Amino acid sequence: MVVRVSTGRALLAATLGVGMAVTAQAASYPDIGPLPQLKIDKAKAELGKRLFFDNRLSGDAAISCAECHVPEKAYGSKEALSPGYPGNGHFRNASSLVNTAHKNIWNWDGRIGTNLNDMTREMITEDYIMNMDMRIMQERLKQDPLYVKMFKDAGYGEPSNGSVRKAIPEYLKTLTSTGSPFDKGAMSASAKRGMKLFKGKAGCIQCHNGPLLSDLKPHNTGVPENFDVFLDPMNHQAFMAFTMFQGVPDYRNLKRDPGYFNVTLEKQDMGKFITPSLRELKYSAPYMHNGVIKTLSEVVEFYNNGGGKDSNKSKKLKSLGLSANEQKDLVAFLESLSGDPLTSPKYVWDQPYPAEYPVIENWTQVRN
Amino acid sequence: MSIKKIAPTLVAVAVATVLTACQAQETKTGSAASGKSMAAKTAQSGPPPLAPLGAPPIPPDNKQTPAKIELGKILFFDPRLGGDASTGCSTCHEPDQGWAWAEDFSRGYPGTVHWRNSQTIINSAYYARNFWAGSVPSLEKQAPSAAKGGVAGNGENDIMESRLALIPEYRKRFKEVFGTEWPIIGHAWKAIAAFERTLVQRDTPLDKYLLGDKSALTEQQVQGMALFNGKAGCIQCHNGELASDQDYYNIGVPPNTRWEEDGLAQVTFRFELYAKGMTEEGYRTTKADPGFYFRGKNKWDKGKFRTPSLRYTTFTAPYMHNGVFYTMEEVVDFYNRGGFDEDGRTTAFPENKSKLIKPLGLTDEEKENLVAFLEAFSGEEMLMEKPAMPEYAPLFTRAELEAAQEEK
Repeated sequence: MVVRVSTGRALLAATLGVGMAVTAQAASYPDIGPLPQLKIDKAKAELGKRLFFDNRLSGDAAISCAECHVPEKAYGSKEALSPGYPGNGHFRNASSLVNTAHKNIWNWDGRIGTNLNDMTREMITEDYIMNMDMRIMQERLKQDPLYVKMFKDAGYGEPSNGSVRKAIPEYLKTLTSTGSPFDKGAMSASAKRGMKLFKGKAGCIQCHNGPLLSDLKPHNTGVPENFDVFLDPMNHQAFMAFTMFQGVPDYRNLKRDPGYFNVTLEKQDMGKFITPSLRELKYSAPYMHNGVIKTLSEVVEFYNNGGGKDSNKSKKLKSLGLSANEQKDLVAFLESLSGDPLTSPKYVWDQPYPAEYPVIENWTQVRN
Repeated sequence: MSIKKIAPTLVAVAVATVLTACQAQETKTGSAASGKSMAAKTAQSGPPPLAPLGAPPIPPDNKQTPAKIELGKILFFDPRLGGDASTGCSTCHEPDQGWAWAEDFSRGYPGTVHWRNSQTIINSAYYARNFWAGSVPSLEKQAPSAAKGGVAGNGENDIMESRLALIPEYRKRFKEVFGTEWPIIGHAWKAIAAFERTLVQRDTPLDKYLLGDKSALTEQQVQGMALFNGKAGCIQCHNGELASDQDYYNIGVPPNTRWEEDGLAQVTFRFELYAKGMTEEGYRTTKADPGFYFRGKNKWDKGKFRTPSLRYTTFTAPYMHNGVFYTMEEVVDFYNRGGFDEDGRTTAFPENKSKLIKPLGLTDEEKENLVAFLEAFSGEEMLMEKPAMPEYAPLFTRAELEAAQEEK
């Protein structure tokens, strides 16, 4: 399995290498452009929305998905590092969930490559994330009359773990970018110049291509470590638990995020992370897998300098020689990729949740 | 390894002896419920008499040492051995609540409630199996089961072990006790078990009396003892050193009505049925804790629970697996009625109710004497100040991280 994956990657890399050699870079990559429309089942998505914002989906009923995926932050984390489950911290920045339904690989390290159903299970059950025994979760949902109705109305029958793993992804489909100047054809002159640089001199298109502006592949760009991962034992314990669980060798002495390495355990994948989408960046600062870069102009500066320091860094990265104005244009283009905030009640469950679980009457007689 | 093998055999022999004696009693009183060995026929005498409590058994693969016991004590009180670092062993086994939890159901993990009564740690070292249905064979296995259970500690090995690795004092103590560079979570359970084996009480008035100090019991308690051994029949199951035969019985304890009145308790109830592998039909229709049934899924075991020790019970109210009785008087009344509470309620699995349980015909005075005698199973309250919790510290310095960054 692992061998097949790496072989495929090697072939792909070779193909890209050939593409690089040709001067007309942009032509070699899937074009950037609007995202396809997704068909959404309203009742299922509405149920998924209520689940997404419900604290009762975590072990101690203290946090919901939205604790780390904050609507105002394009459903990413507020700070450089995600807060994680109570009792521990986290070691990465929570990815924006806007457009997540358009991806085929998830997590910064790409460890889920199947579907959002599996991703939902991963987030709910991982001990340092939501630490939920889904069997308890199912029984909590069955104890809430509104859920009983919503699951039924959505065609799922009674509340179940499997249906939660379907309803949340259905809701996530609704979190699709809308109204960006780029999509509306309303970019400023500066942004248009930036797009030309993006596709040409700056070479961003090599990895940030297609409607998502991401190739969804792992690359090492030399992003520096966020030392808070290791200097704060709350974050470090989550990192250590994660790398232990992933089978990363010598995980206790590790002083860097292994990234995609934890998927393949092959040295050439050390420090690689999946290319993030560039949509909605206006809301999702700070940037990179560990949030070490605070602003978009600093991100552009980082790439203008050829990325960071890492012996395993991608050969695609080199000093770009962009002028100050060119860098500004590039930032303007990146900003034009952000649309309307998805923070209205259309996207956010804004009704209160019951403070208690109502009792099921006549309990000894009913089947439940 | 060979030592390991010998120990369980010895324990098995010891348990078998107790079981045989007990079955003799069941047979005499006409019970067909247990359907176990025919060895009972050859038993000559009744149940073993009450006896002074000896030293607890120590497993050969987890010897007691002062450093291990001290480590186990700190770990016992450390809430970081749980999911969200707010629940440790002592959370549900509070020293000032009888090393248990003074409500019917144990408090459970935040956002949940448990479904059984928290049992005292005092003298838990003597049981061959732990938990109300005997689901684990040792204290070393009880600790992780409690630390990980969804309505108990809800922790997982990887995060708990990582926390220990980031606490310098634990790194030092684990190395000293177990010789490993890093704390291993399995060793934490061993240390906790070692600490728990120090929590024994062997100097109760009953122990003193049985060792020859006839002044240790009052006249009333002596009369109560005669009832205990005779008319009330308590000795049939509550016998030997521990005042428990460690066998499983359905004595008629009624379901806790909280399951009819409390939504959170209903959530946990269904979860337990689900998690313990009931059939779908059983999951939807069972409305009382089947107890020992979960061990072998035999319908004749529904509603059976392990006989608890009567030691230290002065401090461990409420009583029974689901905490339905808050005083010893209520317990005695329950048995005197033949396994019914004051409202006439009994087990939801009456077909399995032990034949040993029948109306006793005790007078008010006899009941008082019996309750007075039950107090003789407890000595002084065993309180303990919680140890200071060792603190987290970063594993690496900034300089080490900068050097590693340079080497990338």
